Amino acid sequence: MSAHRLFVRRRDGRIQVRLNEVGRSIAREAFGHVVAAERDPEHEWGATLTAPVDPTRDADDPVTTLRRQQATATNAELAVATLHEEFLTDAEAWAWLCTLQVALRATAVSRGLLTDEKLAEADSDVLSEVQTLQQFLFELAACF
Amino acid sequence: MPAQSPVEVPVESPVRRERTVRDFGWNVVVWNDPVTPMTVVVVIFKRIFGYPDTRATQLMLTVHHEGRAIVWSGSRERAESYCVKVQVAGLQCTIEQDR
Repeated sequence: MSAHRLFVRRRDGRIQVRLNEVGRSIAREAFGHVVAAERDPEHEWGATLTAPVDPTRDADDPVTTLRRQQATATNAELAVATLHEEFLTDAEAWAWLCTLQVALRATAVSRGLLTDEKLAEADSDVLSEVQTLQQFLFELAACF
Repeated sequence: MPAQSPVEVPVESPVRRERTVRDFGWNVVVWNDPVTPMTVVVVIFKRIFGYPDTRATQLMLTVHHEGRAIVWSGSRERAESYCVKVQVAGLQCTIEQDR
């Protein structure tokens, strides 16, 4: 049964996006936040996007952090550029998955939702935001 | 019979050997979080490390139950590279040296 699924892998390998306008606007907001966070070091999602690679060192290798920044930005920009597409290539769908997952974790970290207990105590708006992103990710992951 | 020509045998220098020894024993560690769907973690492990479904699922369950899992071990350079890929995919990931 694929009638109610949000993302469907077609036989030609492409992934069909079945989000309605509300769904796409939620995705647009998530992708847009990741793009903004990569450009603005003061962004509230900065902590998630600049997490250490080797926590025992005072600073990570600048080349490594630059590579991560570029890859995250490339994924987010590709996701934004394909926001209105009905069909995504495998690489585009992977960019969506990575960017949605970055957005989900950044949302959780920036709101202090670092444990199951904190998540259970979150207010309903935040919880709804988290659950929507989880649903998108759950269904998109099923295509891989 | 022609005189045997000298054959060059590549010899590793001590410096290189020392670096090679030190370069192993780096772990890529993925940490649990309360929001990431389990299926997403499995997909990321399969895609980045090329693990089969069973191995990826086993590692995901280790992360879920123990709070962290070593998902790859080897040289520092490759561990860093994998760690960055996992971070770009949105999971909490670090590297550490074997104790």
